[in-house]
Amino acid sequence: MIYLITAFYSEAKALIDHFGLKKLYEPSKFQIFSGDEILLIVSGEGILQAAIATTFALTKFGASDRCIALNIGICGAKEKKLSKGDVLLCNKIINHHSKKTFYPDILITHQMKEASLESFLHPVKKDTFFGEIEGDIVDMEGAGFFEAASSFLAPHNVQCIKIVYDFLAYEKIEPQEVTILVKQCMPFIENFINTLVDLNLKFCTNIFEEEKLRQIIEKLKSSLRLTASITFQLEKLLKSYIIRHENLPEEISEFFNVNVNSKKEGKQYFEKLKKLLIS
Amino acid sequence: MKNSKNSLLAKHFSHIYIEKEIISHPITKIILDKFPNSVLVEIDNYKEVFSRPRQNYKLQEISKKLILAKKKGEFLYPGPPLCHDFGYNHFYYTSLIFNCIFSCDYCFLKGMYPSANIVIFVNIEDYFEEIDSVLKRHPLYLSVSYDTDIMALEKIVPFFSMFIEYATSRKDLTIEIRTKTADYEVLQSLKPSENVILAWTLSPQEIIEKFEHKTPSLSARLDAIKKAIENEWKVRLCFDPLLFTKNWDEIYLKFLNQVFEEVEPSKIVDISVGVFRIPKDYLKRMKRVFINEITLFPYEEDQNVCTYPYDLKKEMMDVFLSNLRKFVHQSKIFVI
Repeated sequence: MIYLITAFYSEAKALIDHFGLKKLYEPSKFQIFSGDEILLIVSGEGILQAAIATTFALTKFGASDRCIALNIGICGAKEKKLSKGDVLLCNKIINHHSKKTFYPDILITHQMKEASLESFLHPVKKDTFFGEIEGDIVDMEGAGFFEAASSFLAPHNVQCIKIVYDFLAYEKIEPQEVTILVKQCMPFIENFINTLVDLNLKFCTNIFEEEKLRQIIEKLKSSLRLTASITFQLEKLLKSYIIRHENLPEEISEFFNVNVNSKKEGKQYFEKLKKLLIS
Repeated sequence: MKNSKNSLLAKHFSHIYIEKEIISHPITKIILDKFPNSVLVEIDNYKEVFSRPRQNYKLQEISKKLILAKKKGEFLYPGPPLCHDFGYNHFYYTSLIFNCIFSCDYCFLKGMYPSANIVIFVNIEDYFEEIDSVLKRHPLYLSVSYDTDIMALEKIVPFFSMFIEYATSRKDLTIEIRTKTADYEVLQSLKPSENVILAWTLSPQEIIEKFEHKTPSLSARLDAIKKAIENEWKVRLCFDPLLFTKNWDEIYLKFLNQVFEEVEPSKIVDISVGVFRIPKDYLKRMKRVFINEITLFPYEEDQNVCTYPYDLKKEMMDVFLSNLRKFVHQSKIFVI
């Protein structure tokens, strides 16, 4: 599952349109949209809101090894070296208030610039904020999202993508303009998601035919009357043998139809089987 | 979702994380000069990146990052009981680098560290200071390449050459540098030192192909060893770990013949031999990430160490040692 977390509907709109997401009428305080393997949740503004929405989504809809969570939204840029509409992948996320820092694992290639993001509890305006800004860009959600998502997922599957909206001097955010900016960045976002999905698919696959193996284990468990702990040992022995020889030994079929009369006898057969499998 | 046709993985060291405290350290500058296109990310402490929860070691191995840090606290550690002391009384090891550019299926680092990223502690001067202070109390036998392969990393950070230069002027110091590299170039400009033992880990080519990913071939390692011996470096051979695999006996016998056809046994300082063994907790962590012949083997556990069942271990050692003794005198063989 790919989880997309945005603060505002105006940010979500372009994603909803692009991926053809439909509103999910799930009882919750958040607006949720879903589609083919994608779930989008609109968190509302703020670090805490982002953390709550992310936790809700990953708890309610599940977080497996291959799940991906992305926070996508607009940000303010500290320096003029960036331009309005620049799409940025965050390589460092700082919570301005707790001073906690988070680092996504960037294992894949992408076409975005990279930047460090600093999240604040309040909007940051150049003429009224006199503190020090460490990040290249600022927002009000990234750190909350990241801290929550990284409690569930591996750091390569938790990422923040931000689009420069202003230079800390804005007066009012125009929702339509936000939607247009996100829409313009969709090729970068989609390509990034696809690559991340491919990474998970290509490198996190199970090499055993689990169903077939399960059947063999069940057969042996029943014919040899094995206990749970010995069955667990047996599974390890079978996998180890398959890894070494690519297949199970032919002689294993001799153990399928054994009818043991006691657990002791079963254990004796298991020892014979063990000898066969450690070869 | 459409499938991406673009190339998937970021290059090794696409990102370099640097502790703010050592940004202007000379070693940092040497390293950064070698990676002008890497993205630099400032950090406060290396553990923020290296010790994150839920990192995927297997994925990180295919796109490793560099982390540059300053080592604090202890610099030397007593030699672990799972390693040979080669008869030295004061056996210590030190770690200037965590992790390695190679990827061996059996490597304990995969179970010891939460991350596959490479940490380099740039403040080598503090290590030297600590070693000097220990040398005032007693001689020292120091392994400097247990948690990494510093010779293989010489072109990234010149710790290997710096250690050789340093050790040469310390009469009570013996350092062992364990390696699988075949890159003789890094030795060419250096003067052989009486205080340095270059310890090559050797495995049969079949084992290298199956378990020692991205490492040089056996013949390339043997070439480097021959050149090192010719140039009067002290060389140790490490047949460690011996691994159980299909046809292991034939594979290892052929291997011994190949090694001693190339290398003159009398020119070798000594030899270490040991079967695969690993702390139980490390193996447990490796199993969570790596499903392979090494992690899946049904080992026996004794005193929190996992190794082959007694009979198998005995058979492997007996077969290997009886054949090794045909080439090398018993007095040169250290067994663990």
